[in-house]
Amino acid sequence: MEKKPAWLKVSYNKEAVDEVSGLMAKLKLNTVCKEANCPSLGECYKKRTATFMILGNICTRHCRFCNVSSGVVEPVDPNEPQHLAEAVNALDLKHVVITSVTRDDLEDGGAKHFANTINAVRKLNPGVSIEVLIPDLRGVDKHLDIVIGAKPDVINHNVETVRELYLGVRPEADYDRSMYVIQYVKKRAPHIKTKTGIMVGLGETDEQVYQVMDDSLKAGCDIFTIGQYLRPSAKHISVKCYVTPEKFEEYKKIGEEKGFHYIASSPLVRSSYRAEEALAGGKIK
Amino acid sequence: MKKNIQMPKLSEQMETAVLAAWNKETGDMVKKGDVLFEIETEKVVSEVESMESGVLEEIFFEAGDEIKADEIIAVINCD
Repeated sequence: MEKKPAWLKVSYNKEAVDEVSGLMAKLKLNTVCKEANCPSLGECYKKRTATFMILGNICTRHCRFCNVSSGVVEPVDPNEPQHLAEAVNALDLKHVVITSVTRDDLEDGGAKHFANTINAVRKLNPGVSIEVLIPDLRGVDKHLDIVIGAKPDVINHNVETVRELYLGVRPEADYDRSMYVIQYVKKRAPHIKTKTGIMVGLGETDEQVYQVMDDSLKAGCDIFTIGQYLRPSAKHISVKCYVTPEKFEEYKKIGEEKGFHYIASSPLVRSSYRAEEALAGGKIK
Repeated sequence: MKKNIQMPKLSEQMETAVLAAWNKETGDMVKKGDVLFEIETEKVVSEVESMESGVLEEIFFEAGDEIKADEIIAVINCD
């Protein structure tokens, strides 16, 4: 196993992990924290927060960085929105992040299920801010409209990497389509905060990173996240380099100068990591 | 009462992990919540907090060893 740089260190508390994992199992819910083998799971579960993953735990796409399983998908659970709303209540969350696997097999890509989930969370937990991290929904306006119509506070769609690396990293996705998702959301609902993010350490250049920032801003993106790509297993695409904390700081500074409402950039940043803070523009400490 | 300390299974796929370092030595007092040891997996190094308070009585593995998930790696005497 390759030795990790000193800054890739996280804490792990088994009791906290077991507590949140137990609640998820009881309510038959998935978290992307667990499915993606997120390095921040221990920290987030200790703070009793998690990012929910709806529409099952099997994805119809085969991104080469992602730990979520691909294959034969399961039927959509109609009780999932209500169960998720109950989990938000049980964890006493003030801000909830809901993502999903990509469901190209569903006519609407799962848009209606997203809307049902947003509505169920809001009904049981008035006052909780809701962030959805959506797949590209094949860039279909009417499907995006369904999610927008449920009025989440934040719509995030991750562009994941620079345009030049798409074929090797996200072979079934399209850089321009992902930018279109952000652009469409902002055009249709300027009051909804838009968000995207990339992983670095996949072989991208600084210029390519700044180009993603420029493209995202042009599309109307408010919040931008940058984190280190970490390989889930030897079967996944390799880490080309470990980007230093100083370089992440430089990305943050330049991103702020370019005009993002908020930018999170450090090795262990993930798109939903400290999402409440990002929504508040960094005012929560 | 003696409590066995196991190699935690950090993910469903994890079969083994490398013990990166012990943060306590045999004979040391350990408080619940103290970082007891560090383990290295494919993505990161995790600082594992102790679930028990007591004296670290025995250590069965050294830094650098690759250890199966759930294997007993140490004993804490909680008396």
